[in-house]
Amino acid sequence: MEIGPIFRALLRNKLGALLIALQIAFTMTVIINAVFIINERNRLMARPSGLDESNLFHITVIGFGDDYNEEIVAADDLAMLRQTPGIVDATVINAIPVSGGGSSTGVRLINDETSPSTGTAIYRLDEHGLNTLNLDLIAGENFTATDMRLRYESGPTEADKAVVTRALVESLFDGMAPADVLGEVMYMPGGDVVQIVGVVDRLQAPWPTSQLVERSMLVPENYIDSFSRYMIRTEPGQRDRMMAEVERMLVERGQDRVVRDMEAMEVTRANTYRVDSALTTILRVVVATLIVINCMGIVGLAVFSINRRKKQIGTRRALGATRPEILRYFLLENLFITIAGVALGAVLTIALSIVLTTNFNMPTMAWYYTPLGALLLILVGQLSALGPSARAAGTEPAIATRSV
Amino acid sequence: MLEMIDICKVYRTDLVQTHALRDFSLSVQEGEFVTITGPSGCGKTTFLNIAGLLETYTSGSYQLDGVEVSQLNDFKRARLRNEKIGFIFQSFNLMPDLNLFDNVDVPLRYRGLKASERKPLIEKALESVGLAGRMKHLPSQLSGGQQQRVAIARALVGSPRFLLADEPTGNLDSNTARGVMELLQEINELGTTIVMVTHDQELARESRRNIHILDGQIHEENGRGEMSSSASAVA
Amino acid sequence: MFFYYLRLAALSYRRNPILSSLMVLAVAVGIAAYMIVFTLNYTMGGDPIPHKSSQLFAVQLDNWDPNTDSDPPQQLTYTDAMALQQAGRAWRQTASSKFSGIVEPDNPELRPFMFIGRGAYADFFPMFDVPFQYGSGWSADADANLEQVTVLSRDLNERLFGGANSVGETITMDGTQWQVIGVLDRWDPVPKFYDVNNGPFDSGEELYIPWGHVVARELPRSGNTNCWTAIGGSGFQAFLNSECVWIQYWVELRDANEEAEYLDFINGYVQEQKTLGRFGRPLNNALYDVNEWLLKEEVLPDETSILSMLAAMLLAVCLLNTIGLLLAKFLGKSAEIGARQALGAHKGSLFIQHMIEAGFIGLLGGLLGLLLAHYGLEGVKILLGNELMMTDWIQLNVPIVITTIALAIVSTVIAGLYPIWRACNINPAIHLKTQ
Repeated sequence: MEIGPIFRALLRNKLGALLIALQIAFTMTVIINAVFIINERNRLMARPSGLDESNLFHITVIGFGDDYNEEIVAADDLAMLRQTPGIVDATVINAIPVSGGGSSTGVRLINDETSPSTGTAIYRLDEHGLNTLNLDLIAGENFTATDMRLRYESGPTEADKAVVTRALVESLFDGMAPADVLGEVMYMPGGDVVQIVGVVDRLQAPWPTSQLVERSMLVPENYIDSFSRYMIRTEPGQRDRMMAEVERMLVERGQDRVVRDMEAMEVTRANTYRVDSALTTILRVVVATLIVINCMGIVGLAVFSINRRKKQIGTRRALGATRPEILRYFLLENLFITIAGVALGAVLTIALSIVLTTNFNMPTMAWYYTPLGALLLILVGQLSALGPSARAAGTEPAIATRSV
Repeated sequence: MLEMIDICKVYRTDLVQTHALRDFSLSVQEGEFVTITGPSGCGKTTFLNIAGLLETYTSGSYQLDGVEVSQLNDFKRARLRNEKIGFIFQSFNLMPDLNLFDNVDVPLRYRGLKASERKPLIEKALESVGLAGRMKHLPSQLSGGQQQRVAIARALVGSPRFLLADEPTGNLDSNTARGVMELLQEINELGTTIVMVTHDQELARESRRNIHILDGQIHEENGRGEMSSSASAVA
Repeated sequence: MFFYYLRLAALSYRRNPILSSLMVLAVAVGIAAYMIVFTLNYTMGGDPIPHKSSQLFAVQLDNWDPNTDSDPPQQLTYTDAMALQQAGRAWRQTASSKFSGIVEPDNPELRPFMFIGRGAYADFFPMFDVPFQYGSGWSADADANLEQVTVLSRDLNERLFGGANSVGETITMDGTQWQVIGVLDRWDPVPKFYDVNNGPFDSGEELYIPWGHVVARELPRSGNTNCWTAIGGSGFQAFLNSECVWIQYWVELRDANEEAEYLDFINGYVQEQKTLGRFGRPLNNALYDVNEWLLKEEVLPDETSILSMLAAMLLAVCLLNTIGLLLAKFLGKSAEIGARQALGAHKGSLFIQHMIEAGFIGLLGGLLGLLLAHYGLEGVKILLGNELMMTDWIQLNVPIVITTIALAIVSTVIAGLYPIWRACNINPAIHLKTQ
């Protein structure tokens, strides 16, 4: 093989090779880290909230004036909504999962304010809540209408029953099965006691980036503060039609209220993850751009170096080199440069990854990203070099004898 | 005009030293037309490059028009080339993206002349080689002979007193070559000193003075010496 | 000679249009990527009130849970905010907080609607240099006497009064009448430094009233409320007395002396409160000026820092590319450079000629990059979406445009230094002979 001569020839044209190698190294660093970030964000965005998101929407009713009685209005609104064909069920709810805004509290298994508490999101809804959100009850039972409490002041909760998520059970009760925690009590801040009556498989907290994202508790309670938020589940395919209808119905029910913030859950999710999805889109563009720029660079310099060596190639041909041999020469040359770039790139990739992990609260990159990225760049390099090399292989031997 | 005494030029690489010129001494008088011949690698191009201040030499002394050039920096050498020397190359070396007018303009630009001063000089130079009507053409639109005429116009536009030609007819067919030679002879007769490197023995024999170089040294010199003085008389 | 060289640069571009265009494209892409991220950083991380950002201070009092080591709260309790406000020890000071309310327009064709308002003290407007279209803010007396006066945002005035001068008019809000005494001009500081914990890139509030009303009328709070311990007792008064934080507190201090005195004052206040059994943690009070506050609160999202790094590397790749292409281009001109030397060009003039040629490529790259950056930013705006965050401020302005072009030219010339140096130092003799 001709590895020796190719290598020595490369050393004589250090700069061109160095430029390409550096380009490949930087490209690799950016691409691999960008792809990792994209995958990471996609993973975050793909976590299920536990809701039947495609058939859910929510709307807020705000009453004003001295005659407004939220208790009656909400009861009437919900009764009307639940009777409306096309709607499966509806509930009041204090916070919208995934939306980014809601309440949290700390719960304890012992009544001691100085002991560490376990943070959890708290959803206040009625006995239709589980069915409306379409949660998967894996143990125990739902609330009943008699469990409902009305609350007039802020504070942890007035309710004395709760349904909790599997993740909250795991945090609070080390190693206990969901069925075994039924009937256990939790202490709220201030010492109120809440009994666990059911466990649902999954319900995300309103804050997707929070540590406690999988820990939620649901309590049967409505906070009477003239704000009522309704979550509504429709029959499949009926959501958009029902949204228009529900808004019209609620607006028609009175002048003493403002109806606003109607939004499908899918839109809520899209808004919450807006920055993440923007970032992944931007990074995809960056990756594509870099690959194109890189190909351009490789092709540009390959064409230049081949043009410069045209006579030499002609001479080689005249001396009996076949076209595949010339092709192989230039592809091998590119391979050497790429391997050098990829080796440097691997170091830079890991360095940047460490910087990102330590500064930006990102998980560690899996080991296979770097070799896969290296392989990709070697492929890109070979493909880019293929065109110019094929042109070089097409050089007529006669060029060797021409002087101009 | 040109006075070289014991010029040596050594090329060094890691492994070998090559003596391109060895104790090379030559004197060219004002108005002479000297041809330089010799086999490939004899040092004739090195001589021309040193004479044209394109290369430095290792030892010896070279006076151009009474100026010792070995101590000059790049800037002063460029000045000298611009003012005193005209170059003609085998492959013309016209700027491919400049038209004829702009090509001939190049040395005048480096001389720093005003546009109003440059224009008549350029037109005159192109006229003298018979290409006044093609000022807006690009070199690629001309034949080889025409391109060489442009190169000659470019070499002459700054009225240098010394013309260095490196195989000026090497890329031309024999008829065109003859035309170019006649043009050079006319220029010489008007007083410009010409040193021309060639491997064409015909041309060499025709010239008044021919120097044959072998292995970096002057091997033999033929010439009709008395012509040089009469040439000066013509000027 | 400059214009001569510029013409040579243009002619040289025409000779190798593909190679030259590749360079322009590489420069443009790199510059555009960098400038898009730069613009985001510049606006999101910029100083929202440059002429007095070092005189405005957020007040931090650490009343948080002594059993944990979590960060001190970003806001103040009612107790503390009122104590500071009543002491009035700063040059200017204001507690403020967000609330929501309902406006019932007089025009029967308009349905009542909800708005987000801000309760604040009279100092709020002069402190933050809030611009007025009509009228002005209220006086300290209005705060003290709980006058029912209000300042509208430009948009709300547009909605209620069609943009006319509404000073002196009344509006119905929270079931009662309020007199309009001022209408703001457009005011959207980015970031919204005076309330970063409730969406630093949200648009401003629509209506302002004297802060005392927020408590007196028990208006619904709209910002974050954080509590570390249960509220002792029930009722609104119990909430006010609690350790829950929900009020933004800012002071204006004119010099370091005033700053030191004020810090002494709040430390003294907290020491006093400690004797009453509050503030269980060690003394940890602080004053942060606007830029320190934005930094401490990490207002600039991580995403922009990550993108900054990646964009810088993308620019590096593009410039490496440009170095390679310039090298190819300039070395391809060896014969021409040799001929120019023979015709009297010294190295200095060749150097300048090629600097200008590189600069010319950079200029074209910068112009194209500007175009790409413009569309890129429009794309970013679409991706971010206006309903989520106010994105009108993401745009190229004059300083950014100038920076872009300058960066493009300078970086291309720097990328060109080595190729130029190589080109100017070729041995002319060799390249004149063979072509």
